[in-house]
Amino acid sequence: MSAQAGGALRGGRLLRVVGGLVGLVVLVVLAVLPLLSGTSNATLLTLTLMLTSIGVAVNWNLTGGFTGYVDFGHAVWFGIGAYATAILISLQPNGPQVGWHPVPAIVVGALVAGVLAAAIGRATMRLKGPYFSIAMLGTFVAVREIVRVWSPLTGGGVGLTLPPYLNRQLFYYVELALVVLLVSFTWWLRRTRFGAALVAIREDEIGAETRGIDTTRLKTAIFSFAGLSTGLFGALWAYQNTFVDPDIAFVEVRTIDAVMGTMLGGLGTVAGPVLGAAALYWLREVLWANLLDYHLLTQGVLLIVVVLFVPRGLVGLVDRRGASLAEVWGWKGRRRGGGAADRLTEEGLGDSAAAGPAGGDRDGPAQARAGSEPGSGAQGETAAGGDAETEALS
Amino acid sequence: MSYFAQALINGIALGGMYTILVLGFSVIWGVMGVINLAHGEFVMVGAYLAWMASDFWDVDPFVSAPAVFGVMVLFGYLVQRVLVNRVINRSALVSLLVMFGVSIILQSIMKIAFSADFRLANTDLDGAWRLTDRLTIPVTRFWVLVVAVGVTAALSLFLGRSRLGKSIRAAAQNREAARIVGVDISKVYAVTFALCIGLTGVAGALVSPLLAVQPFQGPPLTLKAFAITAVAGLGSVRGALGGAMVLGLVEAMLALYVDRIGTNLAVVASFVLLVAALVLRPQGIFKGLRHVDATST
Repeated sequence: MSAQAGGALRGGRLLRVVGGLVGLVVLVVLAVLPLLSGTSNATLLTLTLMLTSIGVAVNWNLTGGFTGYVDFGHAVWFGIGAYATAILISLQPNGPQVGWHPVPAIVVGALVAGVLAAAIGRATMRLKGPYFSIAMLGTFVAVREIVRVWSPLTGGGVGLTLPPYLNRQLFYYVELALVVLLVSFTWWLRRTRFGAALVAIREDEIGAETRGIDTTRLKTAIFSFAGLSTGLFGALWAYQNTFVDPDIAFVEVRTIDAVMGTMLGGLGTVAGPVLGAAALYWLREVLWANLLDYHLLTQGVLLIVVVLFVPRGLVGLVDRRGASLAEVWGWKGRRRGGGAADRLTEEGLGDSAAAGPAGGDRDGPAQARAGSEPGSGAQGETAAGGDAETEALS
Repeated sequence: MSYFAQALINGIALGGMYTILVLGFSVIWGVMGVINLAHGEFVMVGAYLAWMASDFWDVDPFVSAPAVFGVMVLFGYLVQRVLVNRVINRSALVSLLVMFGVSIILQSIMKIAFSADFRLANTDLDGAWRLTDRLTIPVTRFWVLVVAVGVTAALSLFLGRSRLGKSIRAAAQNREAARIVGVDISKVYAVTFALCIGLTGVAGALVSPLLAVQPFQGPPLTLKAFAITAVAGLGSVRGALGGAMVLGLVEAMLALYVDRIGTNLAVVASFVLLVAALVLRPQGIFKGLRHVDATST
């Protein structure tokens, strides 16, 4: 690690220790909360929904933040997990009446989402940048319509009712455990060769391929895992909600929340999606209570403000190791009148120049990190300084 | 047989509607490299303007269309100055997210102002012309098709012949080279964006008697515009016409041959068309203003 990066890391280490301690305290509070007598079922439901939102954001970050494939239709796996589970449990007369026990139904529901994610990911992950984003948005809209018209299986637009099981405390603990597991997995992933290879795909996919990384296999694998995991949250949500229909199982807001939560917290960081999704969830609760109609408007404004002025997110403000938009999306402080002629075709080249040959071996992520460090600095300044002319860094 | 002929007529009429809906999106993407994810919302705003004219002052959308054009050009110019200019030099995904924010904002403003009720503008050019017992031509769609073909021809001439049009094409092909030979890039971008948003507003006005005007009508339209543009070539005016006709015919045939559920499957069709076309032919089918490859960055 070079000297200039070393100083930033020492400061970062202290922050990470403090952050870890705060996280631990919050976790303990969350763990004992349901046992306190003052905690109502409504509070537990609110917290469970927040955990769902965090879980989906963490999953979105796996492809969107680490691999750099910005998915605009991630909520489709949530809906598929929810529907597969509902179909297996429901005994509704106009449904297929399978009548499984909820536990296997939830597991199979998540698996269905994972298998479909693997199949669809193989096709859509061949596409790059905005093409991938829109193809996933299309997948989302198309699947919702298929669910709506395939009424013998899905109950159509009427939806499916599930036998109620209202043990809020159980759902709460299951989801809390899931989120803790997922976050630990993300933390661990950042330290493995697999995680390094994913970041290498984000920084320079062609370079990664040249270094012998099977990019298609790896990115499809993480995409399928994210689909399966989001499907699991969907399956749990369906059982807890006791009712699904196409418009509540497949809502755009779920994707929007995952994207915005992750960006607000810090793209490609471990803590970012957790912080961002939780902050967004409470912000929404407050806005919803006080502003009603204006909450959507506020969210749109917030999205633009975050993209334009805080592209590194909350975590990025203190810890500079995560990915910024600059690294993920190939923008390196180029402003008006400077830089290359055609961004769409030159992005890949620009990236590889800044990031260096990131490989799948031990020094892969370190190189990628060291290479991208000054870029992030330049980018942060530009964001803060508004229209200031910033030199291209490379 | 006559059912088939009717589906053919419907498909071509639908294609005309899609042509005018897609042009603005295609040219903005081709020239500026900005994927206008708020495209459907600009259509929606244009449709609301025409509906207001129809509902409050009893003005036909075909008559109010030029006024809508003027208002939307100003609106487009404002959005370009305040937002698009800031992200124009960043990667396509940054502008994608910012325009996504714009789409959410427009949706919620319209919902606050007009509620989520479905509305339709009134036009005198309605009804159907009877050809035979089972063969009719929908009048509104016919006139939309006429306007669409006219606008396509005019835009094609403007880009091909006029001095400003030539600088727009030059900026799309090679921005740096165009700048060096004296093209005012920021002016070109401002004109392109304003003009295209104006066109998109006109599209909204023209479809206001056909598609339910409501705050959330935008996203499916954006998706279709994206599908057609990606298949047809970015900024290719004739490609937009061709792609729109293909999608219109596919949807009309689906509605004819797949009983009951055909119209719901239309959006699935446009998606399948999109992904298939992108995976099989990433550089687009027609030659556009900008060379792209969907499978490489």
